[in-house]
Amino acid sequence: MITTEIAIIGGGPAGLSAAISAASLGAKVAILERDGRLGGQLIKQTHKFFGSEKQYASTRGFDIAKILEEEMEKYKDKIDIYTNATVLGLYEDGVLTIEHNKKYMKMKPEKIIVATGASEKFLSFPNNDLPGIYGAGAVQTLMNEYGVKPGNNVLMVGAGNIGLIVSYQLMQAGVRVKAIIDAAPQIGGYLVHASKVRRAGVPILVSHTIKRAHGKESVEGATIWQLDERWQPIEGTEKYLDVDVICISVGLSPLTEFLWQAGCEMKYIPELGGHVAIRDENLETSVNGIFIAGDVAGVEEASSAMVEGRLAGICAANSLGYGDDRFEELRRDYTEQLKSLRSGPVGAKIVSGLSKVTVKKQFA
Amino acid sequence: MIEKTGVPTKEDIEEITPPKEIREKQAVAVIECYKEIPCNPCYTACKFGAIKEFEDINDRPEIIYEKCVACGQCVIKCPGLAIFIIDETYSETEATVQIPYEYLPLPKEGDYVTALDRAGRPVCRAKVVKVRKGKHPNMTSTVTMAVPKEHSMTVRSLNLEDYFADNTIICRCEGITLGEIRQLISEGYTTIDEIKRISRAGMGPCQGRTCRHLIMQEIRNATGQNMEDMLMPTFRQPTKPVKLGLFVGGEGDD
Repeated sequence: MITTEIAIIGGGPAGLSAAISAASLGAKVAILERDGRLGGQLIKQTHKFFGSEKQYASTRGFDIAKILEEEMEKYKDKIDIYTNATVLGLYEDGVLTIEHNKKYMKMKPEKIIVATGASEKFLSFPNNDLPGIYGAGAVQTLMNEYGVKPGNNVLMVGAGNIGLIVSYQLMQAGVRVKAIIDAAPQIGGYLVHASKVRRAGVPILVSHTIKRAHGKESVEGATIWQLDERWQPIEGTEKYLDVDVICISVGLSPLTEFLWQAGCEMKYIPELGGHVAIRDENLETSVNGIFIAGDVAGVEEASSAMVEGRLAGICAANSLGYGDDRFEELRRDYTEQLKSLRSGPVGAKIVSGLSKVTVKKQFA
Repeated sequence: MIEKTGVPTKEDIEEITPPKEIREKQAVAVIECYKEIPCNPCYTACKFGAIKEFEDINDRPEIIYEKCVACGQCVIKCPGLAIFIIDETYSETEATVQIPYEYLPLPKEGDYVTALDRAGRPVCRAKVVKVRKGKHPNMTSTVTMAVPKEHSMTVRSLNLEDYFADNTIICRCEGITLGEIRQLISEGYTTIDEIKRISRAGMGPCQGRTCRHLIMQEIRNATGQNMEDMLMPTFRQPTKPVKLGLFVGGEGDD
C-alpha cells in the first residue's frame, strides 16, 4: 500500500491548484486522475476566462491547464502524479482503492482533498437515446480534443454559460447552430456570451424546451415548443428544426460518491447543483481530514474552483503542520478572492447556497 | 429584454453610446457589458487609465473618453468579446468599427464583408480596412470595417458571405473574381467590353465562354439592364489564343 500525506482525487483546475498550494507549503501530495492527462475540463475550454489576473482572467482554458502544469514542475519532488488512475472507493479507515493503468492499487493518505468535479444533467424526451444527442461536454471533447465535428446542424438545449460557450465553439468549428433554447424565462449565462452568439445570427429562445427528437438510425430533426409562465408546454407552439445534433447543456451536478462513501454529512442545495457536503470555512467536511474543492463543493465557475483548490490545499497542508508562517496570510487572500468572485448578482445564488452548508467552526 | 434574447434594447445601447462631441473628435472604445459579472481584464489591460478603477470586481466598466486613445488592448483582452472601437472621424461619410473576431478564415484587408447588427442581421456591405492578427495564435484577432457613419453604433459583427462571393472565380482563365467584377460595375464600368478591357476577363484561352454570361448577369443585377439589349463585346479573331508560330510562313498543312 502506498502512503502519502495528501491525496487529491481529480486533476482538474481545483485538484491541480490544491496540489500546487499544498506542495508549496511543503506537503507531500499525490494526484489521482482518471484520465490519461491532467487538466480536467480546462483542456477543452477554448474561450478566455473571466475573473481577475489572479484567476488567469483573459487566458484561454487550455492555456491555464498548461500554466498550472508548469507551476507543478516547481514542486515535482513533492507531487506524485497518477494518471489513468480511477479511484474506486474511499473507505472508513481512510484507504483509497484505485485502478491504476489497469492494475489494482491501494493508497493510505493522511488527508484527502476531493476535487472530482461534476457530471452533466440530462433531459427526458422521446428518442433521447438516438445517436447524435450529446452532452455539451462530449461535444467539446469531440471538437476541441479530437478535432471531430459532431455534425452539421445543431440544436443547443440550455442557455447557461456552457450552452452559450459551446454554441460559440461549434460556430468557430464551422457548424451551424440552428437555435439555442432554454426552459427558463431568461438567459442563464453571462449576457456577453449571449450577445456574442446572437450577433453571429443564432436565435436564442427562452421559455422553450425540446418536445422530441426525430430520426431512425440517428437524429434527423427535433421538435421544440414554448412553455407558459408555469413552465407548462403550450399546445400548438411546436416548431420543427432540421438538425442532426442535439446538444444537451442543462446544468451540472456535483460528483459526490466518495463523500457519501466516507460518511460526510450531505445536504441537497439546488443553488449548488444538488447534494453537497457540509463544510467549514477551510473546506473541510464533517469527516476529519477530508476536504473538498471545485464543482464537487458546489457547481460554479472554474475561476472559483481554482481558488477553492488553493484554499483546500493550504488548509490540508497546514492541518499537517506545514506553512505556519504563511498560512494565515494565504488563507486571507484566497478567502478574499472567493468573496470578490461571488460578490455580484451572478454570485448571489452561490452565496445563498453556500450559506446553507458552510459551518463557522472547525468540526470537533 | 437582453436577458431573453441576448440583444440589448435601444435604452441599453443609448446608455453606453459615447456622447456626440466625443465621437466627432476621436476614436473611442465602446464597452457593451450590460450586466455585472466578476470580471476585470478590461480595467487591468488599459494602460491609459481610461477605464475607471473597479471598486468591486463585479463593477460594470465605465470609460473615461478623454483618456481613451482607442489602442484596442481592452478589445483583445475582454473575455466576453464585448468591447468595440468606433471611429467616426475616419472620413466625411464613413466610420470604422473594430470588432473582436475569433473565427476562421480571417478576412484580409481590402476584402468586402457583410456587416451585421447585434442580432446578426445584415446591415451593409463593408470594406475591411484593418486586420490585427493576434501575436500569439490563441490571442483574439480584430477586424476593422469601414461602414457608413450612421451605422457606427449598429454594426457589431460580420459574416463572410460577401467575402466568399467576392472570392468566387468568374473568369477562370484570367483569375477574375466576382468581387472584382462587382467593384468595377460599382465604379461605372457597366458593359462587358469595358470590364473586359480593364480586367482582362474574357481574354483568356476560353475567350469568355465561362465568364461572359456571368458578367452579364452581374451587370443586370446591379444596373437593371435587360440581358436582351445588353451591348455585346466585339468578337475578334482568333477564337482561341494560338502561338504566333502558327501563322509564321502563312498557310500550309504541315
